[in-house]
Amino acid sequence: MHSNRSSLLLLFAYPVAFASAQTAAKPAGADSSASTQHAIELVEQGRCKEALPMLEHLMPHLADKQLRYHAAMAEARCAMALDREPTAITALLQLKREFPDDPEVLYITVHYFSELASRTSQQLAAKAPASSQARMLEAEAFESRGAWDEAAGIYKAILEQNPSAPRIHYRLGQVLLSKAGEIGPVDDARAEFQRELQVDPRNASAEFILGELARRAGQWDEAAQHFSRASTLDVGFSEAYLALGISLTSARKFAEAVRPLETYVRMQPEDPSGHYQLAIAYERTGNKEGAARQITLRDQAAAAQGQKATGPDGRPVR
Amino acid sequence: MRDSIARRRFLQLLCSSATGLAAPATDVAPFFEEIPPAASGIQWKHVAGLSSKMYVPETIGPGCAFLDYDNDGWMDIYLVNSGPCDFYSPSTPLSNALYRNNRDGTFTDVTEKAGVRGNAYGMGAAVGDFNGDGFADLYVTQYPRSILYRNNGDGTFTDVTEKAGVAAPGWSSSAVWFDYDNDGRLDLFVCRFGDFDKSKMVYCGNRDTGAHYYCSPSVVKPFTCWLFHNNGDGTFTDVSKESGIAGKLTRAWGVVAADINNDGWIDLFVSNDGLANCLFANRGRGKFEEIALIAGVAYNSFGAARSGMGVDAADYNEDGNVDLFVANIDHESYSLYRNNGDESFDDMAIPSGIAAATRFLSGWGLKFFDFDNDGNLDLILCNGHPDTMVKLYTPTVDYRMPMVLFQNTGAAWKNVSAQAGPVFHKGLAGRGLALGDFDNDGAVDVLVAVNDGAPILLRNNVGRRNHWLGVRLIGRKANVDAIGAIVSYQAGALKRRRVRVGGGSFLSSHDPRMVLGIGQAAKIDWLEVRWPQPGGGVERFHDLPLDRYVTITEGQGTWK
Repeated sequence: MHSNRSSLLLLFAYPVAFASAQTAAKPAGADSSASTQHAIELVEQGRCKEALPMLEHLMPHLADKQLRYHAAMAEARCAMALDREPTAITALLQLKREFPDDPEVLYITVHYFSELASRTSQQLAAKAPASSQARMLEAEAFESRGAWDEAAGIYKAILEQNPSAPRIHYRLGQVLLSKAGEIGPVDDARAEFQRELQVDPRNASAEFILGELARRAGQWDEAAQHFSRASTLDVGFSEAYLALGISLTSARKFAEAVRPLETYVRMQPEDPSGHYQLAIAYERTGNKEGAARQITLRDQAAAAQGQKATGPDGRPVR
Repeated sequence: MRDSIARRRFLQLLCSSATGLAAPATDVAPFFEEIPPAASGIQWKHVAGLSSKMYVPETIGPGCAFLDYDNDGWMDIYLVNSGPCDFYSPSTPLSNALYRNNRDGTFTDVTEKAGVRGNAYGMGAAVGDFNGDGFADLYVTQYPRSILYRNNGDGTFTDVTEKAGVAAPGWSSSAVWFDYDNDGRLDLFVCRFGDFDKSKMVYCGNRDTGAHYYCSPSVVKPFTCWLFHNNGDGTFTDVSKESGIAGKLTRAWGVVAADINNDGWIDLFVSNDGLANCLFANRGRGKFEEIALIAGVAYNSFGAARSGMGVDAADYNEDGNVDLFVANIDHESYSLYRNNGDESFDDMAIPSGIAAATRFLSGWGLKFFDFDNDGNLDLILCNGHPDTMVKLYTPTVDYRMPMVLFQNTGAAWKNVSAQAGPVFHKGLAGRGLALGDFDNDGAVDVLVAVNDGAPILLRNNVGRRNHWLGVRLIGRKANVDAIGAIVSYQAGALKRRRVRVGGGSFLSSHDPRMVLGIGQAAKIDWLEVRWPQPGGGVERFHDLPLDRYVTITEGQGTWK
């Protein structure tokens, strides 16, 4: 933990020093500006205990945006060093709000939130090491390393103690799918998602994945039933509407496909997939005008995506 | 409750699942037997000129063809090589090859006498009797200019490209002969793979590691294909613009000509790499309408273009409508488009199992054919990735891939590659694939052109276990090659319909004869030929022989 903090302090020494130099070059302004500059200098000297109360007090009164930027940087840095997490988060959120595209802001946000996540996980391990939450976190760490058997072992152990624990069958199903890869059997995974729905009948994601497994097997009707339930359970689940529409068009139920696809294109107008599928559904139900419009929208969306997928020189990214 | 998984990614990952190929079976005689060069006499090898610059064409070719150039009733073989161009100077002269069939399972190289060496960086071949003199002519696609060899009928050919006006400048890939305006003469469609030349090449790879790859085709700017109208006097007119063909930008690899809506006008299906496929519906009066998107054959189910390469067309489900097939690149799965009869198609690749079986494959040459003569159209494919370095960035994908054979049981597609022979378990840089019965035993054989290697000639060992009838159609009013003819026949309970399509596969051309399988039936009750326009007549035949070839000439009312 301490070494992490040290590295973070070192990490941001340059930007703060840079701020100090920049700000010092400016003509003297209001008292708050001078005090803020002083606080930033204290941060540079590692005197966070003195600097942080000053910064917390001064920040709301700073008119100069550039000075506010450097003060918030310094405030976040010291708050992290002093384990003042709420203050750190407030400072980071302010930076994100006022300087959303600033690379330095984005960079330190990644690192500070990562640090916060690390600290929180250590707290969980220390405070409740035997809790299912702690074990889930451990399993997820294994998952992130591709250690599927280890992760599955933890999930199964949790289920042995509490077969009705929510989300565990789902996580186990995902692990089994990952382990199976693109060519392995999926029966065991499917069973876990079905068990998840017994534990939690409102799990839209489990319904969705069962739908995808059915769709992959060309079982359009079964797929459509799962996707339909997923979209009912979670009306904001846009992908479920698309998958439902694809399953219905595959089953040649074009009239039924129109409604979920119309919902999807309202939710995700930038996605060419929805416009394409809706064009097909419209065309096959005799709505040629609607189909033509969706084709235009599909082409526009695809062009926009294509532009995003090109490099700085305009060439496609391989 | 909703989990925070990236569902779109999951959706796409899941639909990518595959079952893989079955393990080889060792206790069953192989369906196809590789004829080694020492036995066939075919010693020629393709030279790709693979270079450190990694020019895209280097790994794309070659194509091949079965043709009976000397009209002796035995299929000869034509093989296309690379050659000199702006990005390649061969250290020794390279040549295409024409092998004459010696009628005993061996072949003799007659290239020099025939005068069909090629003269640039060759890609593929399309065979058709464009002048209707009864001898098969040869169009060789090349970069930067293609060649039309007119067959002189005496074992030699003459390069008539300039007079004919069909050089098609640029990088041409597949080509097909067909009669688009129903005037009885074969016209020519030529796929162009974008706007390529050496100066337009870009670096593809990882500059940090120095790894250099063959570029994704997406770096090549799309361009239009060519349609040449046959004027009947040895010349052609470029009608690409007025026909509507040039209205669509392409990176075209494969083409097949077939009447997809049964309106009597031959349509064109063109596969594109990284772009929507094209379905040019022939509306008559020389006009084509591109309808691929709305027909459902342009994109995958997410509305995204795939890397379409090899194509074919056939009525595999016997419903009276020509269906389509496209081979794509690895992780895209191939497409089996069932024709609904209303200018719409449904991709049956997932429910048929073809999507799963082809998940990790990249396909080029392919063709529907009835390899076991049971009356059902099966499907053969050769595969291989276009980038020699693919393993570096996609460890699960190989540059060389095995061939695949799907057997159509009438109810399902069965992957029978495991029984098909050792060559189906061997990695190949397979590209062109041509069908032809080189030993005239009624079992249709296969020729595979391999990039930077020797071609593979496969003898079919199973077709002769069933009865068959081979039919050569000769048009008189209709185009002489009878492209677009429909042959229906009945043998006992077996009733079938076959369409003579133009082209199909990749860079390749096929035996023009149709082999009609009838299983164990003892006779063919009747056979009916519906000739293409402008003839358009229907002739019905009885008392046909079995297990031999016959020739049916339009309007003669009999067979020979």
